[in-house]
Amino acid sequence: MVRLLERRVLHVRRGARSAPLFIFWMILPVILIISIFTFYPTVNGIILAFENYSVFNFSNIHFVGLKNFNKILGDPLFWTALWNTLWWIILSVAFQFVLGFGLALLMREPFKGRGIYAGLVFYPWALSGFAIGILWSWLLNGQFGFVNDILMKLHIISQGVNFLSDPSWAFFSVILVNVWYGIPFFAIMLLAALQSIPEELYESAQIDGAGTFSRFFHVTIPYVSSTIFATLLLRVIWVMNFPDVIYGMTRGGPGGTTNILATYMINIVYYKSDYSLASAVGVFIITILTVYAIFYLQLTSKHGSGEF
Amino acid sequence: MKKSKKYKTFRAIMLSIYLIAAIIPIYWIILTSLKVPSDLYAYPIIYFPKVLTLSNYSYLFSFAHFSIYFKNSLLLSAISSIISTLLSIFSGYALARYNFKLKDLVIGLLFFSQMIPAYLLMVPQYSMFSNLGLINSLTALGILYVNIAAAFSTIMARGFFVRIPRSLEEAAMIDGCSKIGALFRITVPLAMPGIAAIFSFSFINDWNELFTAALFLNSDDKYTIPVALYSFISKAGIQWGVLSAGLVVALIPTIIVFAFMQRFIISGLTQGALKE
Repeated sequence: MVRLLERRVLHVRRGARSAPLFIFWMILPVILIISIFTFYPTVNGIILAFENYSVFNFSNIHFVGLKNFNKILGDPLFWTALWNTLWWIILSVAFQFVLGFGLALLMREPFKGRGIYAGLVFYPWALSGFAIGILWSWLLNGQFGFVNDILMKLHIISQGVNFLSDPSWAFFSVILVNVWYGIPFFAIMLLAALQSIPEELYESAQIDGAGTFSRFFHVTIPYVSSTIFATLLLRVIWVMNFPDVIYGMTRGGPGGTTNILATYMINIVYYKSDYSLASAVGVFIITILTVYAIFYLQLTSKHGSGEF
Repeated sequence: MKKSKKYKTFRAIMLSIYLIAAIIPIYWIILTSLKVPSDLYAYPIIYFPKVLTLSNYSYLFSFAHFSIYFKNSLLLSAISSIISTLLSIFSGYALARYNFKLKDLVIGLLFFSQMIPAYLLMVPQYSMFSNLGLINSLTALGILYVNIAAAFSTIMARGFFVRIPRSLEEAAMIDGCSKIGALFRITVPLAMPGIAAIFSFSFINDWNELFTAALFLNSDDKYTIPVALYSFISKAGIQWGVLSAGLVVALIPTIIVFAFMQRFIISGLTQGALKE
């Protein structure tokens, strides 16, 4: 009632007509920047995918139809990268989420030194993906690497494994590192959400005779579900477009076995300097993500997107 | 909730496992940066070296101009992330508080911008800036960093503002505050944890950004830290000692910003205190 009254006072004093202009000026800078520096280049990038622009051909640029797309679809490396991207996303995000959620649950109740603990366990989040890649390529080094040495000392392996140059290990290794890197993201987001759950909900659930599991599935999960849906949506998009860790570790090698679409695209830019071909891969990525996002939002729309 | 002793033991074990997995890599990299060259490639591996040296660090700052890269990175990241945070406060607030015709479209476009791979944009962005004569310019890179952060920061800011009761601002406005005044005196202080998170997130991303910087910067005096680190490995072979020292130095500012931010998260202020 009071709020209604306030609104009316406001309506009288400010006048409803001043709002549209105010909204316009508030949003304008961001819209302008993103339009000029993201959307305009995106359109140009998509156009590029249908042309023949490369470092060997600056002058005679013209429309070539679907040539670049056909070239990519005929490249076995593309199919490896596409298949890898799928596994890269599923395995990375699934383990990041489960382990991150687990950590958040363990940390939700205060304990001595929780602040310091959080700093020590969350710091990977503050490192660059590329730095993480380099750091782990040193740890996984076949000769002087820490991981090999420990595994040999524990008699799990008898001789050093070339984690990054052995094709049967390389992809597993980059996913493992990406999981390690992504745990803090989910832990931080979910911890923040968990701490907002009112204690009374658990108390009344307990009075109703709900056990630990029942409380988890009927109180905790529903309460943080909007955070879960929003973080999973964004994380899948980011992980798909996240070549940094792989680039720091293997650059997509050996023999393209650790390529995902994003590194495949970069390698076309770096080694072939064929920008139109690379843009065609970019168009594939955008298409896949758009379809995913529409599908995902349809599937989860009943839960709302209040979190973001 | 009361927890049993069994659970507490379980929790202590699990927390220790997470801790060990998290800190071993960083311990190893710090150790590598302090080892003398003969220990670095010694076999069997030396876990607790008798001699430690700072020579890798002094190499960084004397021969590799790391202090210039550090200054470039710091200015670039700080200014870009302050600007993008400020802009996202405006846009996020408008999207949280007002309904207008194109609102869904604007939000949809913000989400869509997150899906575009950076490498699709780079060539068109590069030709845009080279037409303006802004290649090898930290200002140009700063504009691109604001652009990278703007959409996600707006989405986040909107989320935080939605949770703050509108009634407080309305009361302030009835008392004679302007809309902008109410935003900065009432809403922003209440949303400070969220805004701190947005700023830290942008800062850390800007500080760590490699691919755009590597494309746009081509002279040594303009390099940022990630580009410099990248140059250490593209030259013949990897100098692990120097590279490790570089990684450790690169980590310091982000750790400071991160410590500043996580105080807000751990305190539980992010959401719970602000329910309507």
